[in-house]
Amino acid sequence: MDFSANHIGFVIASYALSFVCLAVLVLTTLGRDRKLRAEAERLDTQRKKARS
Amino acid sequence: MQFLANPTRFLKIANAVLPYVWAITIALFAVGLYGALVTAPPDYQQGETVRIMYVHVPAAWMALFVYTVMALASAVAAIFRHPLADVAAKTAAPIGAVFCFLSLATGSLWGKPMWGAWWVWDARLTSMFVLMLLYIGYMAIWAAIEEPHRAAMVARVVALVGFINIPIVKFSVDWWNSLHQPASVFRMGGPTIAGPMLWPLLVMGLAYTFLFLALHLTAMRAEIAARKIRQIQIAEIGDR
Repeated sequence: MDFSANHIGFVIASYALSFVCLAVLVLTTLGRDRKLRAEAERLDTQRKKARS
Repeated sequence: MQFLANPTRFLKIANAVLPYVWAITIALFAVGLYGALVTAPPDYQQGETVRIMYVHVPAAWMALFVYTVMALASAVAAIFRHPLADVAAKTAAPIGAVFCFLSLATGSLWGKPMWGAWWVWDARLTSMFVLMLLYIGYMAIWAAIEEPHRAAMVARVVALVGFINIPIVKFSVDWWNSLHQPASVFRMGGPTIAGPMLWPLLVMGLAYTFLFLALHLTAMRAEIAARKIRQIQIAEIGDR
């Protein structure tokens, strides 16, 4: 890729925007998954303990 | 399809395949980006700006594909009462919305140097904008209606009615005089793009597809956990 080409700023902006948006999507999805699974596990264990 | 209707069975399969899907996604992005940024030649007219195509086109493909997944899942939920179909549709929406936004934003970044305008009310661009509104509307329904069964019923209708926009987006460049170029990959008579430019585009398309698969399975797993939490909380209220 020629970094001195015309309109290269638009190319860099496109890749940067795509990277940021996809990284935020991946991190929020993984974070939500981890948080909710831990919470479900905790409540499930608590409920089983309370019953026994 | 009924085989996957059991959430426990689904989770077992999802947990087993997810590490492989993430690994394939990373490998495909590495190869695709190498092709897009290093080996693919600049276009004889567009110059280096053509490289925007490698992030714009896969995002647009995925925006259409994900909405199709949502509509199919909504139809399955409505017809077969498949317990995970609504979960699949609901969790696909935010991912599709991000792809749709990226398609519009990177298209705009390509349009300014090539067309001289950030935005034109062209048939393809307008129908993609309508798709973005459909994604937002669909997510707003799930957020606004507290009772999950009612939210699912309304959301199914929006997903199915909104599906009419998908062929409009796809064929808008054929049906109307459009500034946007016609299909050059998935068309009768084969692709019109040269091989050195085509393979990075296809690999990036595959990378985006695997990224969607990885995110969708993860988001579905999270949604199943959220529903389990809700069930436990309701059961605890009942026990009191």
